[in-house]
Amino acid sequence: MSDLKIAVIVKLEPDFSEGNVSYNADGTLNRAETKSILGPHSAVASSAAFYAKVKYGARIAVTTMGPPIADTALQQAQLLCDADELHLYSDRMFAGADTLATAEVLKTGISKVEGGKMDIVFSGHRASDGETGQTGPQTAWKLGFTFLGNVIDYNVDMQNRVVRARRMISLQGFYDVIEEVEAPLPVFIAIDPSYKASFNTVSQRLAFEKYQKEAKERAQNYKQYLKIFNAQQLGVDPKLVGLPGSPTIVYKVERIPKAKASRKAEVVDGSSRDQIAKVAAKMYEVLGGMVIK
Amino acid sequence: MSAKYEHLYVVIEHEDGKPVPVSLEMLGEARRLMNGFNKKYSANEKVVALVLGNNMRRLCEELIFYGADAVIYVDSPEFQYSRNLVDTKVISQVATNRELAKKFSDASNFIKPRYMFFAADNIGRQLSSTVLADLESGLASDINKLVIEDLEIKHEHKTKGQAVKYEKTLEMYRPDFSGFLWTTILCLDNRNPAIEREYHPQACSIIPGVFLPIERDTSRRGVITDYIPKFDERDLRVKVLDRKIVKSAVDFDSCKAIVSFGRGIKDSSEQNIKMVADLAQALEAEVGVSLPISKKPFAVSEGVSSTYMIPDRVIGTSGRKVAPLLYIAAGISGAMQHIAGMKESGFVVAINPDENSPIKDECDIFIKGRMEDVIPLLLEELRKQKPAIEVKK
Amino acid sequence: MESYEVAIIGGGSAGLAALKQLSNLGKQAILIEAGKKAGTKNVSGGILYSKKPKRGRAYNVEDVYGSVFLSDAPIERRITQYMLHATSGNKVFTMDLTAAHEYQANFGYSVLLGKLNSWFAKQAGESAEKQGGGIVSGVHVRSVSWQDGKTVIETDELEPFEAKAVIAADGVNSEIAEMTGARNKFTPEQLYQGVKVIVKMPEEIIEERFGIGQEDGAAHLYAGDVTLNHIGGGFLYTNRDTLSVGAVYHYDSLMQRPAEPYTLVNALLKNPMVAEFVKDEVAVKEEIDRNLPKEEQLRVRFAVSKLVKTWNELRDAYHSPSARKRLVEGGKYKSEEEIKARLDSVRSELEGKYRTKFVTDYVELEYAAKLVPDGKRCAMRKPYYKNILFIGDAAGRGVFIGPRIEGLNVGIDDAVRAANAVARAIDRNDFSSNSMGEHYSQMIEESPFTRDMKEIDKDYLKIFLDAAKDVPKDIIGQRYGMVFKLMSSGTLRGLAVGFANILGYDRLLPLVESEDTYVQVPIELAEKMGRPVAATYEPTLPTIAQRVAQLKYDDDRISHIKVLDHESEFMKKMVKLCPTNCYSMEDGEITLQHEACIECGTCAKETEWRHPRGEKGVNYQYG
Repeated sequence: MSDLKIAVIVKLEPDFSEGNVSYNADGTLNRAETKSILGPHSAVASSAAFYAKVKYGARIAVTTMGPPIADTALQQAQLLCDADELHLYSDRMFAGADTLATAEVLKTGISKVEGGKMDIVFSGHRASDGETGQTGPQTAWKLGFTFLGNVIDYNVDMQNRVVRARRMISLQGFYDVIEEVEAPLPVFIAIDPSYKASFNTVSQRLAFEKYQKEAKERAQNYKQYLKIFNAQQLGVDPKLVGLPGSPTIVYKVERIPKAKASRKAEVVDGSSRDQIAKVAAKMYEVLGGMVIK
Repeated sequence: MSAKYEHLYVVIEHEDGKPVPVSLEMLGEARRLMNGFNKKYSANEKVVALVLGNNMRRLCEELIFYGADAVIYVDSPEFQYSRNLVDTKVISQVATNRELAKKFSDASNFIKPRYMFFAADNIGRQLSSTVLADLESGLASDINKLVIEDLEIKHEHKTKGQAVKYEKTLEMYRPDFSGFLWTTILCLDNRNPAIEREYHPQACSIIPGVFLPIERDTSRRGVITDYIPKFDERDLRVKVLDRKIVKSAVDFDSCKAIVSFGRGIKDSSEQNIKMVADLAQALEAEVGVSLPISKKPFAVSEGVSSTYMIPDRVIGTSGRKVAPLLYIAAGISGAMQHIAGMKESGFVVAINPDENSPIKDECDIFIKGRMEDVIPLLLEELRKQKPAIEVKK
Repeated sequence: MESYEVAIIGGGSAGLAALKQLSNLGKQAILIEAGKKAGTKNVSGGILYSKKPKRGRAYNVEDVYGSVFLSDAPIERRITQYMLHATSGNKVFTMDLTAAHEYQANFGYSVLLGKLNSWFAKQAGESAEKQGGGIVSGVHVRSVSWQDGKTVIETDELEPFEAKAVIAADGVNSEIAEMTGARNKFTPEQLYQGVKVIVKMPEEIIEERFGIGQEDGAAHLYAGDVTLNHIGGGFLYTNRDTLSVGAVYHYDSLMQRPAEPYTLVNALLKNPMVAEFVKDEVAVKEEIDRNLPKEEQLRVRFAVSKLVKTWNELRDAYHSPSARKRLVEGGKYKSEEEIKARLDSVRSELEGKYRTKFVTDYVELEYAAKLVPDGKRCAMRKPYYKNILFIGDAAGRGVFIGPRIEGLNVGIDDAVRAANAVARAIDRNDFSSNSMGEHYSQMIEESPFTRDMKEIDKDYLKIFLDAAKDVPKDIIGQRYGMVFKLMSSGTLRGLAVGFANILGYDRLLPLVESEDTYVQVPIELAEKMGRPVAATYEPTLPTIAQRVAQLKYDDDRISHIKVLDHESEFMKKMVKLCPTNCYSMEDGEITLQHEACIECGTCAKETEWRHPRGEKGVNYQYG
């Protein structure tokens, strides 16, 4: 049985944690002052790919589109999934791309890797700096892979080349659903933040520890595994990438205005016991359903 | 005369035979937008609801009462549960089918919808992405305001720097991750001769709980059109094996009162959260939070953090929309996103030291004071008065 | 079912040493650790000894890990000063106990157990891997049972597996001991409760403050009024760039006069001498103007946080020769002066632009607690059950004699003995209790530490008495007159100790381990002979809520503790004695909020107490 062929799409993102993030006076992110790291969702996706490597044996390529410094995201991802290859798609031409144009680059890149014969492609749930989870499914679609989103755990039936995954679907205003799905390879899996690896034997866990150590060693020399591709090397159609290939534009950015008053508030002094007593009585009245407003 | 791109298609989500709330909210907003459109530009263009399902005809009728001019209904046992692959292909088939559009309009030149709406929930976000990848057009996600306008655009790529008038353009407003900024996204054809290309539909996914459905009107009439889908056998190999309903850990729907807290807890976050929890307990209320709280901006013990400072509890545009009899907002300034999630509440009490905070315009009683001073007093009074109420019963 | 030769349960320093020793002997062994990684659940006071006893032999850390231990392990500082301070108010009387500290010792290093155990785990894990074993962390053992001649281990996370021998190294609250009935849960008389805070302090400031060289360290012990009338005392050890400040008190004494454990640490920190030891320069952020627009408030907050973080990191680096060198060699700064210039500019930006103040105070990094078994009172006589061998805290083994507190090295010594016994059993293919268990038990009997748990060592006593030679006889004589006379003279001492040892430790203990020893005598000493010490500031003590908030947890929504009797007297005392205030009294009933639990086991005696499931619970950063 041959190893699975896996690609992981990751993203370099600003570190939004307090003590690291910095904002401009107009409320926008100060990107120059804010360090970038492997996005937290990308990290979960990398760990999910590592699971397949430990459990089934897999060859993993981690890919990202971004500026040259995005190679640090690849390194951090390699640390998590013991990647065999790191691919950076980097070209000025890609700048300013919306999700569709980004997906075009990623699709082209991944098709090139391993001659396009991927079994599983992983991505994070979304990026934390604005992208809202479109790039994954759009890349999946362009690749022609079945897209499985919000996956919280998965296993591969190597014999039948089928993935079984559990997905956590939340329907706003309704209950949440955990759905178990089956899909033939190749699939594109967007990993839910609540993903948890489901190793179930001691030997798998020992293997996990062993590979993890290897990953650490490899990631120290990550440049050895790194390949950088520009637009020409990828062979993308310049009309489909970057700004020219983006259907959408950002037209304007403004402050969200204050909503207009819809209720007339009675102002009560919070230090007056009498007034608070009245508020308490009012609360019971409201809850008792006797009077509403 | 019919145009290449016509109508507003709304992709309906349903669960257990009922539309999920955001579906009706999308129809409501679609109705309002197209009423304006019909007046200003052309009466020919419709609000078209698109339903994939199995034995859902009743639902289709409801959609007309809630604002749809036409419903395209695709019935098949394959649609028992949503599956991205099959659903995407069928939606694309429907959206590019001129014969279907002819059932409710002239449509002689129809190629694709002009606009398209999806729900910004787990299913809709992913479905919108794949459908728009297939239709090769632009998508804006998580939208909470929409305007149709004629705009004059000057753009380096789109118009090669020239001023060009784009008619009937959908302005899609998306709240930024910071919560302070609003980004307007447009999906525009490339009018630059070097990269000429048309991008339609102009599509977006809509945040649940933002827009109001229209009043249900049983006198409304519309066309329900059936469509028989073409399946690729290989696509049907994706199977839903099992489905378990997990009740959300936080149950806002069945409680009469909600006590929410926001950044105002900051002076002693741990104790203040516990105090809010006490208040909630006294009122048999559920605890809600404003969005910033779910990002865990304050150091509190992990137990408190994992119980309260979680996305499940967020009330607002990016969380849940609630309408309890009593809503208490403690230390919440009242950002627009939060207001959208609680404004339907019966009676609103705000506790805040700052009389200028926007929550004052959204509450019935504004208790001026710091929560650490007010809540203990309030708790005392609530406990004092409780027996009296019970006796009355 | 998967099968392994040996399963070690618990990845503390004892369990890890057993894994390493078995691997050294060429045996396959796996170690199951409940914490996310080895080291995340462990706490120690902070000194690891290597001993060279006159009689018998001790297996030391460097015997297990080799010379690489001293060259590579993250040990903090070699303790070269060991001082005992008697306190009363602002007066302190000091005795130099360095000789007692050095008694039969190769060395004693201050350590942070989190860091050290993760190094042990790396070494032991790599060796074990070569024998087909290794470390599995994040897995909690639920049961050990015997079925059809097989020993089956079940966990909360993985499929059951089989092992021929088991080494239980699951600590003072050993679940293995409890579920097999190998020993009873320890009682308050058998335990000490230790509570510790880690205080941040740049490297070179420590050296200057304590008058020690780059590699040296100091240990300071405290008795007297800082004990708040409890039996036990306080300690302060210097680490590389932190201090370990803590309090260890006899649990029985705490039961008699319950006090919140953190008040005992606070009492120590408030002592003027300790306050002066821990003081440092601290950035205090200015309250943000609430009239500013919200996004401006947010921007300022993030900007200040970022600058303060930079200032702290850079200052730590500037006061550390190795970090300074790294920064300059790494090319980030051209010279040390440039680091200083940047440090100053960050500071003045904070002061000028954001009105941040720099004040004298101290900074706590971590709050921790642990129970310490007093081997004299609770060491298992036969530390085995069937084919399970108990080691270290799990076997109740620790040396606790006045200022001499040793646990880590005892556990390592046990580990080697257990590993040797298991290796012998593997060679003979006989894991029966008569063979393997008894053999291990005999080897434990031979341990010099076992002797220390049973008998008074007259040589150690002499050193101790010598140190106290300046103490006026009237202070001591009043209380210990006869004993003291006997002990002071060389010949009499030999006779007296011999006689005392016949009587047994247990009869003598109440005499020596008394309030007189830890409280009254030190107070009197301080008042009569002490020198005044003044604090130049008042340390801002964090509340317990703030301390808990600083800890990292992976909260298990299922409580690992069940209260058995919500109205028992013991449980009522837990309201005070739980180091993280997990218990409260509501309407006469004790309720538990397990989320803040740091798994010390203080409440274990009358609760159904389990370690949290794998990866769950507290995650110590320092330990």
